[in-house]
Amino acid sequence: MTHMPLKLDTLPTRRDEAWKWTDVRGRVDESAAGLSVAGLPKFTLPEGVTISEVETDDLDTDSAMAKLARNFGGKVWTIAVPEGFSSETPLIIEGLNRGHIRIRIDIAKGASLSVIEHHAGDAGGFVNIDMTVTLKAEASFDRTIVHSDPADCVRIATAHITAWNDAKVTQHALSFGGALSRIETRLAGMGKHIEATLNGAYLLDDKRHCDMTSYIDLAVPDCTIRQAVKGVVTDKSRGVFQGKFHVRRPAQHTDAEMRHDALMLSDTSEIRSKPELEIYADDVACAHGNTIGQLDESALFYMRQRGIGLAEARALLTEAFVADVFDDMDDEELRESLLVKIREWLE
Amino acid sequence: MLKINNLSAAVDDGQKTILEGLSLDIPAGEVHAIMGPNGAGKSTLSYVLTGRDGYDVTGGDVTLDGDNLLDMDPEERAAKGMFLSFQYPLEIPGVPTMTFLKTALNAQRRARGEEEMAAPEFLKKARALAKELKMKPEMLKRPLNVGFSGGEKKRMEIFQMMMLEPRFIVMDETDSGLDVDALRIVADGVNKLRSPDRGMLIITHYQRLLDYIVPDRVHVLSGGKIAASGDADFAKKLEAEGYDAYAA
Ligand SMILES: Nc1ncnc2c1ncn2[C@@H]1O[C@H](COP(=O)(O)OP(=O)(O)OP(=O)(O)O)[C@@H](O)[C@H]1O
Ligand SMILES: [Mg+2]
Repeated sequence: MTHMPLKLDTLPTRRDEAWKWTDVRGRVDESAAGLSVAGLPKFTLPEGVTISEVETDDLDTDSAMAKLARNFGGKVWTIAVPEGFSSETPLIIEGLNRGHIRIRIDIAKGASLSVIEHHAGDAGGFVNIDMTVTLKAEASFDRTIVHSDPADCVRIATAHITAWNDAKVTQHALSFGGALSRIETRLAGMGKHIEATLNGAYLLDDKRHCDMTSYIDLAVPDCTIRQAVKGVVTDKSRGVFQGKFHVRRPAQHTDAEMRHDALMLSDTSEIRSKPELEIYADDVACAHGNTIGQLDESALFYMRQRGIGLAEARALLTEAFVADVFDDMDDEELRESLLVKIREWLE
Repeated sequence: MLKINNLSAAVDDGQKTILEGLSLDIPAGEVHAIMGPNGAGKSTLSYVLTGRDGYDVTGGDVTLDGDNLLDMDPEERAAKGMFLSFQYPLEIPGVPTMTFLKTALNAQRRARGEEEMAAPEFLKKARALAKELKMKPEMLKRPLNVGFSGGEKKRMEIFQMMMLEPRFIVMDETDSGLDVDALRIVADGVNKLRSPDRGMLIITHYQRLLDYIVPDRVHVLSGGKIAASGDADFAKKLEAEGYDAYAA
């Protein structure tokens, strides 16, 4: 761990292909709160799950943000979920408001863990979270991300998930963006018959930016992947979706679907999307879809004819458009709390 | 009640004039029918009355109970009591029928300065009405009109109309796509709403509907205006002889 200030030229820039629409270097300066220090997350653990701080310089990836997290994030918050564990109570992670944070979650065989992450930054803050999750055989991981930053806060939250056979990964991310934000999920399928759902929605106003990037790397057979991301942008905001399914030769019988659908509510907002399928196995069913549209004028008129005011009609249609990516959430109460946030945003 | 005076309207950014000096007076308590050839402008009239974008009024005026309708937004007209049963009802994905209707009803009530209807009362009314219109209860939970058959959509229009109890009703080809049983159910519903302080304008191509809902007056819309009018028997004559005699 260094105590030198972070050198801005170690941040990714738009000249890096993977960061072409999310220019971290261009949005961060030395004054960013938390730029060169470790963050202090707060964990509320379900009974039976343990946490320890582990010192390590090991890195599973060579990504720029992971290196910075290692250099500035200090010890790794390491969470262990014992074999066969299951609980109604989720692990809650808060205090993700500034600085570099390293988290490691090990989910043992047959264990299941739900995590709720509250990403809410400080004004002028910089947040870099590097999270590594390992699911052993038959383990399951149900992750919910709620993200809303001040208009001048920059956040990069990356998760590297490794899943062994018969594991199940479920993710629902709701983001209202920030000055610049990226929620990146990388899933490596290491054992056959993995099931993953990776859904998300971003709703952006003002000049906010949210990037939802994912990379699913399958080298094993019989996996099922469902991904649906919805976006809503207005004012001068910008939404980015980058999704890639990499289906390697041994990954036969992969059944994978990727969708990104976005609504542009203003002419000055922006959507950038890059759905990618790279497929080397021959017996697979992989599909992707990507649409950008506006609210249906005829539907709006129909609603207004019935007496619903224009603003309320727009809000109802937009909520309906976004909400379905959360339909499959197991936790009704949590789902409803996300919908409430969406409604508040729409007001 | 509804007074249309010398109304002209155009579509296509004002390029194409559809209505040219149309006048029509529908007093409270009366039901009038409008017939006319395809493309005559019947649906256009319904959209002009309800304030749809893209249907530009180029002349004349329309009042409901003396208030100038044309100055109002669509939702204000709805709150004043205008209701259009659409020729092609729209699908509203993701919005359950009951949520939609409750939002609409209460938005209208708020706009009129009335108290909102409480959920239990609303539910009770909706259930009773669904039964009366022989609608499957599941239909009320599904997103409005999504995946409904043509006939189901028309029945849903009547359901909404009876829930909202509007003061003035425009029905645009509500009979098309309905089987005989549905037609009777719909007509019964409409007849129940006939009242001394409510007016109706029924657009149709078929005499059949007018056997069930007997109109006070029947008009032909042709050449952008009311080309001829008569009593209920006039519809029979029109159906037998066609509109050639009234061509513009
Ligand atoms: N939005 C629009 N843009 C361009 N033309 C339009 C538009 N709406 C209607 N029209 C044209 O205006 C004319 C009148 O159409 P309208 O739908 O009012 O006829 P109608 O009498 O209801 O016919 P139908 O009996 O077939 O329902 C038609 O020529 C139609 O093509
Ligand atoms: Mg028509």
